Formats: sequence, structure tokens, C-alpha cells
Amino acid sequence: MTINIENEKQQDAAEVESSRRNFIFGTVAAAGLTVAPGVMLYQTANARSLSEKASSKVRWGMLVDTTKQVDWNKCVDACNKEHGLDNEKNSRDDQKTQYIRVVDVKNKGTGHSMSLPVMCQHCEQAPCVDVCPTGASMKRPDGIVLVDRHRCIGCRYCMMACPYKARSFVHEVLSDQTENTPRGKGCVESCNMCVNRIDNGQEPACVEASNGAIVFGDLNDPESSIAKLLKERGGKQIRADLKLNPGVHYQGI
Amino acid sequence: MWLQLNIDFSFNSFFSKKTKEKSLHKLPLAVAGLALIAGFNTVNASQSDLGPSITIQETSGEKCVLPAEEMRRQHPDLLKHDRIKTLREGVRAKADGGVLDGSLKQCVNCHSIKDDNNKYVRIDNDQHFCVSCHKYAAVSIDCFQCHRDIPEGSGDFHALSNHKDMNYNAVVPGTYSLTVQDMANIAPEVHSDDN
Repeated sequence: MTINIENEKQQDAAEVESSRRNFIFGTVAAAGLTVAPGVMLYQTANARSLSEKASSKVRWGMLVDTTKQVDWNKCVDACNKEHGLDNEKNSRDDQKTQYIRVVDVKNKGTGHSMSLPVMCQHCEQAPCVDVCPTGASMKRPDGIVLVDRHRCIGCRYCMMACPYKARSFVHEVLSDQTENTPRGKGCVESCNMCVNRIDNGQEPACVEASNGAIVFGDLNDPESSIAKLLKERGGKQIRADLKLNPGVHYQGI
Repeated sequence: MWLQLNIDFSFNSFFSKKTKEKSLHKLPLAVAGLALIAGFNTVNASQSDLGPSITIQETSGEKCVLPAEEMRRQHPDLLKHDRIKTLREGVRAKADGGVLDGSLKQCVNCHSIKDDNNKYVRIDNDQHFCVSCHKYAAVSIDCFQCHRDIPEGSGDFHALSNHKDMNYNAVVPGTYSLTVQDMANIAPEVHSDDN
């Protein structure tokens, strides 16, 4: 069974675009902010306004279809651009921040090889949150795992705890950060599922750049496209045996 | 050493730079004497001549979230309060849709200072709004180790900016009703090279 994600997305977009546009521009005009335009694609069942707290009614998640012929480096580029990454001048390559890593795997028996993007898996039972001594590593009620840099002391315990090697440490003084992703020396950081975009009603940058290969949405909403896809076609979590219940699911692995 | 420091900081306004440097190298005692005399003269000097002065450039915004006197005292509390709301709770705006009082992004957007070349001054420049006062008060802030210190893009589309460099008619001929596409054209992704 195949599902045409493109068509489904366009329908979603058509349904929500007008109201969503009014919502965004109504709110933002009052707020006086400049917001880059974006197409809002995800379902609005549990939508909240900018002034509401993130709610545990929502569990944001992503579904990565690795069977699609997509250059995952486009997602990495979009991520770097969104968060102003890749601006470390003096760090070694293995020290530089990565929010998304493209992992190539090969089955030696069959010779079958594939690649998949691995970012923070936004676990429900996040080890990085468990081990953090200051409460900097945190999970928002809506399932997004992120670092509160105001509290991070750079001990890197979370980096040791993460089974997905999703976190990076900034080794040098940075300048020219983007407005929406403050980041600096001495703090651990990782994919935050573009939390600023989500709060403003946009999809994460990698989803937008994935040409439909990554679906983003509310796992708790049975009517969302991601929940429907997972119900119909299933999906796997990486290292599901750890029972961390990641919010990022994969198809074709 | 003490004398040099004393002269440097306390009597800055009474010596031209050239004179001061020359004296410091050759005649420290004489300079100390001069400094003492000059010190007595301050009794008659106006208050603005006393000690180092501070220059805060005015921004031409309509109004800040609180009157200036209260902002001077309370801005750290506002920032700390709202950073918890925004980052940890996900609240991005006030109930009426307005910008949070303690939004550092909005602070930077309004209180950005441009130099003679019409470029934003960065945090390492004494003219930067935050630096101008914090340097005077010797209170070091680490906000801008992570946060961006100048507005993104042209900065002309923010709420309280003076909009003086923006030619609206050229951007959207004959109308102010902006579509999504217009916004895309007006506010392209501008990177720091442009500042």
C-alpha cells in the first residue's frame, strides 16, 4: 500500500492555509514582529496561540521515510541555515555542532546500503533529562527535548547519556548567532525540533527541506497525517529496545 | 601605578590625550601635582565635568514596556522572568498577542544603534546600547555570548524602529496590504554580512 504524501500535504495546506495565515498575521501584526513566511502544513486539532503554554495534549513527532530517494544533506543544510550552525572557525570537524547526522549503514550479508538522518530523537523517557545535574536538559510538555542554556554548565553528562549521540558541545566563542537560536561557548546543544518555528505554526526546517520524506505532526492526534501514516504503514524507532519511546520514527529501516 | 590610574580615571577631562601620555612617561610626580591642583578646581567645575561621562544614544521608538526609570531598575527581572516563560513553558507572546516584556530579541530590535556607516554596532563596541551603560557600571553581562547582539536583516520592519530608511512605496506600490509573497520579498533572508 502506498500513500501519496504530497497530495495529502497539499490538501492539508489548502484546508488550513487561509485561517492559519490570518492567525499568524493577525497575531504577529499585533506583536509587531517580522516573521518569515512559511507554509503551515500540520494539523490544527490541538493548536495553541502564542500566549499559551505548551501542553501535554500534544506530542510532536517526526516520521522519516528512508525509502524515499532524498539527499538528506539538504535537510542538514536547511538545519544549519535555520540555526546558524557550522560557524565554528577553530574547532576540529569532530567537535563541530551537528543537529542532524547522516548515517550510512550497510548490511554486509546482503550488501544493501542505505542512509538515514539521525537527530535528537526526542525521547519520552529522555536519559539526557534524567542525568542533567542542573535541570538544563529538559523536556517540554509537548515532547520536545531541548537545552536551557541559561542553566547549562557544560558538564556534558547528557552527551554521555544519549544513546543516539545527538548532542554537541560548543568549544569556542561564537558570534553572529541567529535571532531564534542563541548558542554559545560552554553549552551543550542539540536539535530542538525547531521549537521557535513550531510555536509560530511552522514545520521544522528539515521537514520543509525533505520534499515530503519527513512528516511532522502531533502523534497524539489520531487525525494528523503522521498518526495516520504510522497507523497504516507502521514505523520503527531506533534502538526501541531501550524503551525510551522516541518521538522520531523511521520507515524502511 | 596608583598615580597613573588616578589620573587616568579621575581627571580624564582635564588633560588632552597627548599631554597626558607625555607627562606619564616623563614626569609622573609633576603630573600628580597638577592632578591635585586640577582636583581642587573641580569644586568649581560643573557636575557634568566630574568623572567619566556616559552617553546613551536615544532610540526613536514610541515607548518601552515600562517608563525609563523603572526599566533601569527592573530590566534584569523582566528578562529572567520571561526567559523561563518562553524557553521552558513555550509562551511566546502576551495574552493580547503583544511581545513579551522580557523578550531580549525585541530589546535588541528597538535599542539597536547604527554607526556612521549605517551599520549596527556590535556588542564589542562601546556605543552598543547595553554596553554603554553596563561598562560604566562595571556590570558584565553574558547575554550576548549566546544571544544575537544586533537585529537580523534590515531591522526596518520591527515594531518600534524609526523606519526612516524604508521606502514603502518602492516595496509595495500603492498599497500597504501585504501578502505572504510581499513579506517574502520585503524581508529576504539577510545574513550578518549585510550588517
